[in-house]
Amino acid sequence: MTTQTRKVEVPQGWEAFAWKWMRYSGVLIFILAWIHVLIQDILVGVYNIDINYVAGRWHGGFWRVYDFLLLFFAFSHGMNGTRQVLADYIHGAGARRALNWILLIIWAVVVVIGTVAIFGFTPPAA
Amino acid sequence: MSFKTAMEGYAKYEGLGNWAFILHRLAGLGVILFLIIHVLDTAAVYFKPSLYADAVSLYRSPVFGIGEIILVLCVIYHGLNGLRIIYFDMINPNLWTIEINRKSVIWTWIITLVLWLPAAVVMGSHIIEHLGS
Repeated sequence: MTTQTRKVEVPQGWEAFAWKWMRYSGVLIFILAWIHVLIQDILVGVYNIDINYVAGRWHGGFWRVYDFLLLFFAFSHGMNGTRQVLADYIHGAGARRALNWILLIIWAVVVVIGTVAIFGFTPPAA
Repeated sequence: MSFKTAMEGYAKYEGLGNWAFILHRLAGLGVILFLIIHVLDTAAVYFKPSLYADAVSLYRSPVFGIGEIILVLCVIYHGLNGLRIIYFDMINPNLWTIEINRKSVIWTWIITLVLWLPAAVVMGSHIIEHLGS
């Protein structure tokens, strides 16, 4: 059976940008998140993680930048994904606008809190 | 259109591709829910270190340990199925046939389980080692 791919013109608006965003950010998160999970959840494990571990990990700049990138891309990907799922069940224009604003605010608050913590943290004097 | 209509639609339109879609969404929603909690608990190292210690001791309980093993399954599946979708969408849209879609879903699950099982054994043995401590 041969299949012909149907070519359609997609309006290049915000939704097209969001669609592409999920795919491009997905490739990056695939790398960042899998390394993160492999190290923290499987190799190190929660029983070896405490504030001293975090202090050691955030001693230099590399893992802070890494964690910031993971936070920014994964959280943006996830919040947009949540928006796309909910938009399948919420059809009113006003309700969707409210949904977008609520998710945008949650996104901004969590990203700011996480970013401040990553770069503001100074290890306690040992 | 309602939640009920949507669920009936899912139930009637069976097929591996559709199941992959539903599980991709559920796994993604599960991960983002955990991610919100995780960003906030880790931020406690800066805002309130005593709270971070409480959060970590909660994560060390067996119930959360099992949750973590399921979380890793969600991350592996969502990541692999996501790469499959990206490859089909961005590189070779001709692969979007029912036949190839179903086969690739099966392969996605085989690779997911092959990667997840050893991780689950390692994490599960950590839980058992720390039981009662």
